[in-house]
Amino acid sequence: MKDIREDIAWAQINKDVLKSLENPRKLYWVILFIAIAMVGVAVGCEVYQYNVGLGVGNFDNPHMWGLYIATFIFWIGMSHSGTLLSAILHLMHADWRKPIYRFAEAMTTFSLMTAGLFVAVHLGRIWQIYFALPYPNMRQVWPNFQSPLLWDAMAIFTYLSSSILFLYIGMIPDLAICRDNMHSGWRRKLYTALALGWEGTDRQWRNFRMTYLTIACFLIPLAVSVHSIVASDFGMSQQPGWHITSFPPYFVAGALYSGCAAIITLFIILRYVFKFEEYMTMPILKKIVRLTFAISMVWTYLVWVEYATAWFGHNPHDQHLLLEKATGTYAPFWWMMNFCASVVPLILVFKRFQTNIPVLFAVSLLLNLGMWLERWMIVAPTFADGYYPWTWDHNQWPSLVQWGIVFGSFGWFTMLFMIFCKIFPSVSMYEVKEMVYHRSLATKKLQATGELAAAGKGAH
Amino acid sequence: MSISTLFENYSEFRHRHPDGDVPHNPYKWAMAIDLDACSGCNACSVACYAENNLPVVGKEKFAHGQAMHWMRIERYWDQDGREFPDRGARYLPMLCQQCEAAPCETVCPVGATNHTPDGLNSQIYNRCIGSRYCSSNCPYKVRYFNWYDYPTTDNVWPAEMNMQLNPDVTVRSKGVMEKCTFCIQRIRGAEIDAKTQGRLVRDDGELQTACQQACPTSAISFGNLVDPESKVHKQWRAQQVDLDKHEQVKDEEEGGTDLRGYRIYEFLAPYPSIMYLERVRESEI
Amino acid sequence: MLKSDFDRRDFLKVLGWGGTAVALTGCGNGMVESGKETVVSYVETSDYMIPSISVYFNSTCAQCDAGCSITGRIREGRVLKLEGNPESAINRGKTCGLGQAGVQNHYNPDRIRAPLLRTGDSGEAITWEKAYALIDEKLKGVSGNEVAFLTGGMSGHLKVLLGNYMDSIGSKNHFAYEAIGPAVVRAANKKSYGVEMPRFNISKARVVLSFGADFLGAWVSPVNFSQQYAQFRKGAGGHQRGVLVQVESKMTITGANADRWLVVRPGTEGILALGIINALGAHGVKMSGDIAAAVKGYDKDRVSKDTGVSGEQIEKIVVLLKERTPSLVLAGSAAEGYAHGSQNAAAINLLNQVLGNVGKTVEAAAVVPFPQMAPATGNTAALKALNDGLSAGKYKVLFSYGANPVFTSPAAMKFKDNMAKAGFKVVFAQYLDETALQADLVLPLDSALEDWGTQVPEYMAEGAQINIQQPLMEKLHADTRGMGNILLALVKQRRAAEYKPFDDYYGYLRAAVLQNKAALGGAHQADNDIFWNETLSKGIIKLDGAQHASLSVKSGAAGLSLPEPSAIDAQYPLQLIPSVNASLRDGRNTNQPWLQESPDPLTTIVWDSWVEIHPKKAAELGIVEGDIVEVSSKSGSLKVQAYIFPGIHPDAISIPLGRGHEAMGRYAKGYGVNPFQILDMVYDKETGELALHETRVKISKTGERVIVVKDEGPVGGNQEGQKIVPLMATDKANLSKEI
Repeated sequence: MKDIREDIAWAQINKDVLKSLENPRKLYWVILFIAIAMVGVAVGCEVYQYNVGLGVGNFDNPHMWGLYIATFIFWIGMSHSGTLLSAILHLMHADWRKPIYRFAEAMTTFSLMTAGLFVAVHLGRIWQIYFALPYPNMRQVWPNFQSPLLWDAMAIFTYLSSSILFLYIGMIPDLAICRDNMHSGWRRKLYTALALGWEGTDRQWRNFRMTYLTIACFLIPLAVSVHSIVASDFGMSQQPGWHITSFPPYFVAGALYSGCAAIITLFIILRYVFKFEEYMTMPILKKIVRLTFAISMVWTYLVWVEYATAWFGHNPHDQHLLLEKATGTYAPFWWMMNFCASVVPLILVFKRFQTNIPVLFAVSLLLNLGMWLERWMIVAPTFADGYYPWTWDHNQWPSLVQWGIVFGSFGWFTMLFMIFCKIFPSVSMYEVKEMVYHRSLATKKLQATGELAAAGKGAH
Repeated sequence: MSISTLFENYSEFRHRHPDGDVPHNPYKWAMAIDLDACSGCNACSVACYAENNLPVVGKEKFAHGQAMHWMRIERYWDQDGREFPDRGARYLPMLCQQCEAAPCETVCPVGATNHTPDGLNSQIYNRCIGSRYCSSNCPYKVRYFNWYDYPTTDNVWPAEMNMQLNPDVTVRSKGVMEKCTFCIQRIRGAEIDAKTQGRLVRDDGELQTACQQACPTSAISFGNLVDPESKVHKQWRAQQVDLDKHEQVKDEEEGGTDLRGYRIYEFLAPYPSIMYLERVRESEI
Repeated sequence: MLKSDFDRRDFLKVLGWGGTAVALTGCGNGMVESGKETVVSYVETSDYMIPSISVYFNSTCAQCDAGCSITGRIREGRVLKLEGNPESAINRGKTCGLGQAGVQNHYNPDRIRAPLLRTGDSGEAITWEKAYALIDEKLKGVSGNEVAFLTGGMSGHLKVLLGNYMDSIGSKNHFAYEAIGPAVVRAANKKSYGVEMPRFNISKARVVLSFGADFLGAWVSPVNFSQQYAQFRKGAGGHQRGVLVQVESKMTITGANADRWLVVRPGTEGILALGIINALGAHGVKMSGDIAAAVKGYDKDRVSKDTGVSGEQIEKIVVLLKERTPSLVLAGSAAEGYAHGSQNAAAINLLNQVLGNVGKTVEAAAVVPFPQMAPATGNTAALKALNDGLSAGKYKVLFSYGANPVFTSPAAMKFKDNMAKAGFKVVFAQYLDETALQADLVLPLDSALEDWGTQVPEYMAEGAQINIQQPLMEKLHADTRGMGNILLALVKQRRAAEYKPFDDYYGYLRAAVLQNKAALGGAHQADNDIFWNETLSKGIIKLDGAQHASLSVKSGAAGLSLPEPSAIDAQYPLQLIPSVNASLRDGRNTNQPWLQESPDPLTTIVWDSWVEIHPKKAAELGIVEGDIVEVSSKSGSLKVQAYIFPGIHPDAISIPLGRGHEAMGRYAKGYGVNPFQILDMVYDKETGELALHETRVKISKTGERVIVVKDEGPVGGNQEGQKIVPLMATDKANLSKEI
C-alpha cells in the first residue's frame, strides 16, 4: 500500500496543490452547479415559508419542531470532525492528519454555517432573531440566560468564530505560497492581503506555532461544550425521551461519529476530483476508518445506555416512548437508524474493506444517513408521544418545504466547500512538507542505523 | 442597560412559587374546575374565541393539528373494555395551567414568557421570536403557535367579521406563540379599577374569565388564591390542595382520600394553578 | 351558588338604546375615503360613547328559541361580545356556545345586503320600494286562501303583527314550522299534564331519568337546564348528589354525563317506561287500576328482551326511583321520533304520574297574560300541510321567514319542486340559503343584534317574562330591514290608516308596550319615557304576578298501545338516528365559523359530518374510522365518513343534522352531508309529526378512506393509565365538605 512518497519535492507539492486551485475540471462545474441548484430549492422553500408562515412546513401542535432542528444537530455534529482532526490530533502529534486536516477544518466551518442557517429557518419570526443576542438596548431587556437555546446560540457563535480563526491561522503559510506563486489578478490581491506579510522568518514561525497551538487547545473544550449544549436543549427539558442525563456525551460521540463518516466521504471525493492520490493516501484513509469504527462503537454503547435508562428507569412515559419508537409510526426509521449507525460500521472491522474505496464510500454515506436519522429520532418521536395522550399525534409528516430546505442545506454545504477548494488550498502544503521531511529524516536515521530492514516498513 | 438587571430578572420573575412567608401579594390568580359539573358543552371554548380573538383556522388546518383553541374540551372514555360506555364520558376542559414553576418559562431564549407578580404565566407576543421551545417543554401541550398570518388569511376575519375583534386583546401575527392568559385583559382592567378605588379586586363577579362567565353549569371558578374570602381559596383549602406542593399530604393517606381536588401532572412539579375536582359517578346504579 | 353578580358591578352602566340613539357605525369600511361618510369627532358623540370604555346593552339571544337574555358589550359603536344577563331566570348570566356565536351571525360576511329579485340562478338588486310594490302587485287578485306564510316558531309582537297582516290579506294560512322541535312531546304533555311545556325542576329532583331528552345539549332550554343540573349534582337543599340515568339509543351529551347510560333498542323507550312502572308496582308503589292494567304485560323478562336492558339494571333503577324522591322523568326527542312517538312519550309521562312527580318536579309554568303574544311553536305537521297545499297548487304566493324547508325537509317530500308551483315566492332571510335560492324575491333581514322585538319564551323558568330584543349597535348594512319593519310596511299596504301612527316597528313596539304599562309592571311609573328606558335597560319584562297554568293530571294509560319492537329489515337493517348537535341544530347556524370549528362534544369532529357506528357493527361490516360509507334509505342515499363510536346501539347508526349545506355561505357550503335528505316520510300516528328516527338504512363501503378531522388524538379518549380525569364513586366521595 502506497503512502506519501518521502522523496517528493517541495516544489512538486506546491505545484500539485496549487493546481487544484486552477482550471476546474468539468466534474467540478457539474458538482457546483448541482449544489447551487439545491440551494435554489432551499431558498425557494424559505421564501415561501417566510411569506406564508411556518405552517407550510406541516408543523402542528404538538409537532412544534421537526426536520430543521434534527438537521441542525446533524450539521453541528458534522462540524466536530474538523476539530478532532486538526486540534486533537495536532496535540497528539499524529502526523497522518496533515494532508487532510485542512478540508476537515473547512468542513467544520461550513457545517457550522449550515447549522446556523437552520436556527434562523426554524424561527417563527426570523426577522427578530437579534432578540436572542445580549445587545445593549434602551429597555434593558436581556435574553433569557436560563434557556439552553440561548446557550446554544452563543456556543455556536463562539465555535464558528473560533473555527474560522483556526482555519485561517493555519492557512497563513499556505496563503503566502499562493501569493508567491499566483499570477496577478484578484486572487493575488486576496492572498497578499490574507497572508499578512508572511515571509517565513523564524520569528513568524515561532509566533505562528504558538498561536496555532493556543487556538487548538481552546477549540477542544469548545467543541465538547457545543454539542453538550445542543444536548442540553433536550436534556434540560422535561420531556420523555429528552430528559436524559447521558445526552451530552452521547451527543458528542454522535458528533464525532458523523464527522468522521463525513471525512471519509469527502476524502474520497476530493481524492478523486482533485487527483490528490499522492497526498490522500490509503494508509491515511485506513487510519480514519479505524478511528470511525472506534467512535461508532462508543456511540453504540451510549445509545444502548440511553435505551436502558429509558427502559429500566421505570418511568412509564419514557418506556412508552421507547416502545413507540420501536413499533410506532417512526419504527422503520428508528430501526434503520440503529442498523445504519450500529450494524453497518461492523463492516469496517474487516481489513480488506478498510481501504476499499467503493465500499467505504457507501458505508460512510450510510453512517451519515444513520446519524441524520438518529437526530430525527431524537426530535420527532417525543413530540408524537409526549406526556399528554390527548395531543399525541402519529400522523404528522414534514411537508416538502421542510424536506426542500433540508435537501438544499446539503447543496449549500457542498457549494461553500467547492468554492473553498478553488480559492484556498485544501491540502496543507507546509504541513505535508513537514511530514515528508520528518519522515524522510526518520527513514534516513533508520537507514543509517540499519534498522530499516528489521522494521520492514517505510513509515512510522 | 445595567448588569444588575441581568441578575435581577431571573430571581424576581422566575421564582418557583411563593416561599414560606413571602406569598404572592396581593393577588395570585387561580382556578378550580369541577368536572362533576362540567357537561362538556363547549360554551367556554367558544366564549374564549369571542373574547381573545382566536382565529378559526378552517378544516384543512384543523386536520393538520393547527387549531388554536386555547380552551379545549377533551372527551375520555372509561378503559375497561365494556361494550358500551354506560358510565358516560369524562370531560376535561384543558387550558394553560398557569404553572408556578412553568417548564415553558425557563427555556424561552428571549424571555418572552414570564411569571407575573400576580402569579400568571404571561406571554409577550412582541418579544416572541417563535423558537417554540416553550411548547416543546409544555407537558400539557396547551400552547398554540401562529403557523400562519391569520389576520391576512382568507375567511379568518373577512370584512365585517373583523369588527368583532376585541380591542383589548392583541391580534397575533404569524410566528408567535400564544396561549390562555386567564383573560389578562379582564384581570388588568379589574386590578386597575380596584387600585384607583383604593381597594382590592372583589370576589363577587367583578372579575370573571370569559370561560367562567359563559359556563352554563358554573363549573369554573376563578379568583384570588391569596384572598381567604375568595371561593377559589376556600375550594383549594377544602380540597387540601396546596399550591406549592407537588405531592399533597392527603394523597398519602392510607386508603386514599374522599376529597376530589387534584392537579394534573403534579409529579412533574410545575405547580399548576388550576385545581380540578374529580368527576363523580353514582355507585348504586 | 348561582348568585347574581351583576347588580354589584357598579362600574358597568347598562343602558337602553333610546329611539334617537346616535348612530355610530364601525370604522374601517372605507366609507370615509369614498366620501359616503364623514368623520364625526368623538367630542360630539353621545355622553356614554367614550373611546375605549365599554357600554353594555341588554337584549335577547336569537340563536335558538330558548329565550336567554344577553348583555352585549359595545365599544366604539361595535358589539364585541355577548354575555348572559344575570337578571333572567332562564339563563342567569350564562350562555351556551351557540349563544356566544351570535356576533358571528351579525358580522357574517355572507349576509344579503339588498333586496334581490331572482330569475333562475341570478339575482338583481332592487330597492325596497320596488320590492314592496312588487309584493303588493303580486297579491292583487289573489285571494287570502291562496297566500301561505311559512315561519319558524314565533312569539311576541312580531307574531301579533304577522297575525294582523294575515288578517289584512284574508289568509289563515300561517304555518309555523320547526324541523326539530319537541312537537310530539308537547302534545303528549298536553295530554298528560294539561300543558304543553311544564317547568321541569331538575334542581329539585334527586333522580332524573331521561328518555332521550338531551337537556344539556339541544333540548328546549339547555342553558337553564344546565344550571339546574349543576345544582342537582351538588345536591340542592341538603340532599345527596342527584343521579342521572339516561335512556337512549345514541349517546347525547346528556347521556355522556349520566351516571348510567342505558342503550335501548331504538323505539323501545316506552316499553322500558312501562316495564319500570310494572316493576315499581311489584315494589309496592301504589298506582291506579288502569295504569296497573296497562303495564301488566310488561314484566321484566319481556321488557328486557324487547329493549335490551337487563332485568338487573331495571331493578336498580326501580329501587333508586323508589328510594330517592322526588325524581323527574323526561321524555325527549329520541323517544318521540317514531311512528309511535306519542305513545312512547305518553308511557314515559305516565311514569312521572306513578312516581308522584307531577306538581313536585313537573310544575306548571307561569303564563304571560297576553295570549296573542304566546309562542306559536313550530312543528313538522305544519310543513306537511303546507307542502300538500303547494303540491296541489293551492297557493299562488308563498312567504317564508325563519325557516329553511328546502334544507330541512326530507327529499322525498319534494318541497323544492312543490315550492316552485307557487307563482310568487318571497323569502325573508339573512343568507341566501337553499330556500332563498328558490325564491322570486329575497328580502334581506337585519341581524338579531340590530333589530327590535319582543319574545315570549316557550319554556318559562320561574315567573313569566317577556324578553326585549333591542339593537346592540347601528345597522351594519344600509339596505337590510328588520322583520317587524317589513311586516309593518306590508300591513300598511292594506290598512294604512290603522297603522299610520307608527313610523316604524320601534314605534309600534314602544306604543304597544306603553299601552299595557300597568300590566307590564309599570303601574308605579307615571313617566312613559322613564318606564320605557327602564324596560330597555333591563332587557326583560318580568311579570311577577302572572298566573301559573294549572296542571290537570290525566292518566294516559287507557289509550296506550306500544307496538312490539319491529323485526330487523333484511334490506335496510339499521335504524338511522339523525342527531341534533347543540351548536348546529337544524342547520340555521352552520355559517358561523366558531360553531363549525367547535368540536362535537362526543366525537370531537369539526367541519364535517360523520356516521357513528358501534365498534361491533363496524367490525362486522369491516368498516374502520375514516372509511367513506354509503348510507342508503328507501328515500335516498349519501356518502359520509365513518366514525367508530361506542355510544350507540349496534343496530343503529347516527348522522348529525345541520351540515351539508349547498348554499348559505362560505362557512356552511360544501361541508358535510344533510341527513334530512334521506329521511323516510313516516309520521307519528297521533300528531302527524315527521318521525325523525323512523328511517331504516343500509350501509356499504365505497372503498375510499379519509382522515377524520377531529380534535382527539390517535389514542382517542384513552388516558393511557395516567391520572388525567380520574373518577370517584359516590360511595367514596364526600361532597358535603365542599364549597
